[in-house]
Amino acid sequence: MGAEQAWLLAAIPAGVFFVLAIFGRALPRGGDYLGVAAIGTSFLLSFFVLGDLLSTEDKLGPITASIEWSTIGKFELRQGIWIDPITVTMFGVITTVALMVNVFSIGYMKGEPRYYWFFAVLQLFVASMLMLVMADNLLLVYISWELVGVCSFLLIGFYWEKRSATEAAKKAFITTRVGDVGLLIGIILLWKATGTFDIHGIIHAAEAGQIGQTYLFVSIMFVFLGCMGKSAQVPFHVWLPDAMEGPTPVSALIHAATMVVAGVYLTARLLPIFEVADGALLVVTIVGLTTALLTGFIALAQTDIKKVLAYSTVGQLGFMFVALGTGHPAIGMFHLATHAFFKALLFLGSGSVIHATHHNQEMEKLGGLWKKMPITGTTFFIGSLALAGVPPLAGFWSKDEIFVALNDKWGLWAVLILALAATMTAFYTTRLFIRTFMGKPMDKHVHDHTHESGYVMTGPLMFLAFLAVTAGFVVFHSVGKGLGLPGGITEFIFAEHHGPHEYEIDWGFAAASVVMATIGIFAAGWMYWGNSIERSTALAERNPGIYQMFKRKFYFDELYQAVIDRGVLGFSYVVSWFDRYVVNDTGVDGSAQITGFSGGVLKYLQTGRVPNYAMAIALGVVGLTVAGLVVRG
Amino acid sequence: MSLEEAQGYVVLATLAVPLLAAFALVLTPGREKMLVRYISAVTGAIVCGLSIYIFAAYQVGGDQVQMTLRWAWVENTAFLGENGITLYLAVDGISATMALLTGVVAFAGALAAWKLDFRNKDFYILYWTLLAGVFGTFFSYDLFFFFFFYELAVMPLYLLIGVWGSTRKEYGAAKLTLMLVGGSVLIWIGIFAVFHEANLGTFDMEKLWAAGSDGTLSPTFQKTFFPFMVIGCGVLAALWPFHTWSPDGHMSAPTAVSMVHAGVLMKLGAFGIIRLGIQLMPEGAEFWMPGLMVLGVIGAVYGATAALTQRDFKLISGYSSVSHMGYVLMGLATMNEIGITGAVLQMFSHGVMTALVFLMIGALYDQAHTRDLKDFGGIAKVMPLWVIFYAIAGLANVGLPGFSGFTAEFHIFVGTFQTYPVFGALAIFAAALAAAYMLRMFGTVFFGPFNPRWSDLKDLTPLERLSGGMLIASIVVMGVWWAPFTDRVGATVMLLPGVAS
Repeated sequence: MGAEQAWLLAAIPAGVFFVLAIFGRALPRGGDYLGVAAIGTSFLLSFFVLGDLLSTEDKLGPITASIEWSTIGKFELRQGIWIDPITVTMFGVITTVALMVNVFSIGYMKGEPRYYWFFAVLQLFVASMLMLVMADNLLLVYISWELVGVCSFLLIGFYWEKRSATEAAKKAFITTRVGDVGLLIGIILLWKATGTFDIHGIIHAAEAGQIGQTYLFVSIMFVFLGCMGKSAQVPFHVWLPDAMEGPTPVSALIHAATMVVAGVYLTARLLPIFEVADGALLVVTIVGLTTALLTGFIALAQTDIKKVLAYSTVGQLGFMFVALGTGHPAIGMFHLATHAFFKALLFLGSGSVIHATHHNQEMEKLGGLWKKMPITGTTFFIGSLALAGVPPLAGFWSKDEIFVALNDKWGLWAVLILALAATMTAFYTTRLFIRTFMGKPMDKHVHDHTHESGYVMTGPLMFLAFLAVTAGFVVFHSVGKGLGLPGGITEFIFAEHHGPHEYEIDWGFAAASVVMATIGIFAAGWMYWGNSIERSTALAERNPGIYQMFKRKFYFDELYQAVIDRGVLGFSYVVSWFDRYVVNDTGVDGSAQITGFSGGVLKYLQTGRVPNYAMAIALGVVGLTVAGLVVRG
Repeated sequence: MSLEEAQGYVVLATLAVPLLAAFALVLTPGREKMLVRYISAVTGAIVCGLSIYIFAAYQVGGDQVQMTLRWAWVENTAFLGENGITLYLAVDGISATMALLTGVVAFAGALAAWKLDFRNKDFYILYWTLLAGVFGTFFSYDLFFFFFFYELAVMPLYLLIGVWGSTRKEYGAAKLTLMLVGGSVLIWIGIFAVFHEANLGTFDMEKLWAAGSDGTLSPTFQKTFFPFMVIGCGVLAALWPFHTWSPDGHMSAPTAVSMVHAGVLMKLGAFGIIRLGIQLMPEGAEFWMPGLMVLGVIGAVYGATAALTQRDFKLISGYSSVSHMGYVLMGLATMNEIGITGAVLQMFSHGVMTALVFLMIGALYDQAHTRDLKDFGGIAKVMPLWVIFYAIAGLANVGLPGFSGFTAEFHIFVGTFQTYPVFGALAIFAAALAAAYMLRMFGTVFFGPFNPRWSDLKDLTPLERLSGGMLIASIVVMGVWWAPFTDRVGATVMLLPGVAS
């Protein structure tokens, strides 16, 4: 297979979706093995694609292929693929995480109703995401983007008998759809300026200065709205924590490899345009910083283990945008990749806990699980350290890169904000770990019935834990070379005008990073270790206002609900009322009634009596004669 | 006989078969209900097959006007000169697409009415008469017959809704008919004005179009009479603020009539705007199209907004039709290739998708006898296939890629942005509202806790599956592989007078 056939990566899982959706019910075990086989094939094929890319002259490609799709006069649409280092990195991340999630789900979803449907939609989800990252034009990006959205809707709402699941699914779809309005507007605006949907055509036009500054800024900001929606950046972040209503493996997939990273990917892909448009990078940075900070505060006060992880994802996505805001796609992509591995690990780990404790995900009822679940506990520990940014785990390297680049680009103020967010990350991650796995069990009943999950679930955990430890090393030149890449990740992925640069450790920032992580970890340890939860309770009681603000997530949901109820639905009632009573009853029925009324009045003129008519004729003759005389005379 | 001639007879057959079926049904005894159904199903299949043939055999890149048939009817008498009134049938890229739509929806609707028991003979007589009118309008190249068939399509509606309808059916039927007749009066005035002004003694549309473009119809004349044509046709296309017959009419109409009405008849209005507005009066179009654009945008946003809080399935679809037909009018008003092509695609897309929606509503209502969203919940448990079919229609409605709605709306948006970026942005926003009202309905009806009151509901019957399956196939084909549609429509649109590239 050549890389020109990379579309097979998406086509195979998509085909399996149809097979499972139509015949899955009849297949033994709902055809879950077909799902694993499909993703497994894509996983293997991604190595072929990588191999092909590395065999091009400078090992950077790109390899492209496209076909004509439709033509109306000069309006020609082509669909095609574009394989470059960013694409293959995404391929690797998506297929690895998806494969692990698929295998894990065999254990986790066992005995669920609509088992086959779960696996079917999972395939389509992954296929859409793969198509998204290889699309060479924004139209295909948008198409895949929406398909990803609808798959997330189906998976979040998987337990549709539960009202909350349906609501969460709806919220996810509509919130991201609002962002997508911006995306589509942005895409069409860019088309209007350049006459093409081809990503690289648009980038070249932007770099060549063919598009006016203001116009370019406005259109790229519209595109960025879509990225913010998909990647759950403030103020669009509200859907992601609710998306926990889906089965936990889906959460792992959404948070790590599909869906939320789509926005990061697209921003990274279009980064040259952000750089040309004055101020766009600053917006990206500020959005990222705001998100990282706000969600850090919120995560401090959550007690549902999946909610904590969800807010940490939102925060880490903020980190990725901050990274992209420095103008270096490699750093954003690097953090995306490392985060994908450890966040998938953490989610699947929490899934293992939830599965083992019979659907208990409240920290208030957990605790002391490490001895009961050694593999889950250990791998979760590794994932937590990686998320907290402890060296030499994966999260440390990518976060460190962000700090260095951030300092270069925007200076110390930005670094300080992000450092606060990073410290909080370490804090709430530690809190999460301690309250779930350490200390004494909070609920004896739950604890007694807990047991370690089977290998089909712990296997993926161990594999992902391995990656959470090692994935960060790809930053080193020698490691990259050893893998066959031109060098470390920053020599593989880079913006053209920045050029590749070899990674060198900045000891100052590395030390600062370690200090931040340590502060967060020890602060959490001081508060929560050995069931010393009184300390945090006391803190919360002393500052009820602040605690409530964090706990209630800065009241975003309440605000939106009010806007939707009072604003949007209110407006809809007004329009409906206007349509019924003004346009219809007054305008339409009113004219009917006037006709009816005048008919009713005029009918009295038609009496049917000859003397009346004779009288009218006589009066008419007299009247006309008089009128004639007046006019003449 | 040449191929062109033979194809002319195919076109004739497409509108003659429904008429013959109606005639055959007149001769069938009313108590033979099964025979009536078989005749209708076979007619539907033949008509559908013929329309697929017309669409497939239409040559992209050949002459735009193909498959012609001319039968002189009245000429060289009194005020009529050469070719005075001719049965002149032909097909271009736009009408080929519309014919395909009509064929598919007619067949699907005929199957949907299978379970109708009350006077089904009379129902089908009117039904096929209506469809003959629709085909006739799409194929006519003679203004006289154009109007004749147009009226033939509209008139049976009154009885179909008034006799077989539900929920305030007399009111719905009367309002719908009166408003449409009001529109027809405007068109009729416009037609006579054109005939008189052009002074060619012919109703041949090609000659009159030439007159519209070469200055025979003066700019002042065109500016005066363009609104007659566009408002007259616009009533049928749910042009805001002449749309209110749509929610009420749809609410009252029986399933098959809703399908054909929303699916095909509303398109006659938009088609009329192309034939009698853009083609006949290009100067008028240039002058008035910004106004139509504004009304289209209002319709698109207004319909979507009103649909948000409706509680009756059919009212949601009624208002969503107003919104989607608003897109069609916007596309036409762009006066550029991409926008008008998008409008025609949207006519097709909205047709198949709304037909599917009404088919599904009928499948539920026939059993449940209520259409209030709040009465339902968790229906996916008892009617999974129904949910899937409805969901596909709904997602097409929302403009989800992979379904026809996206293809059409995408072209309309691109076309609109060429000249009116702000309106384009508003239209895209209305598409997000569509997601809100659709998902609200999904959430309330399909999902959530199951209401045991509905344990006895049956899933789709085999006929409903066949009928819905055809519509879904059309939705998906246009959604994924739209080149056959854009090729045919685009090539014709490019040659319309006054259309920018």
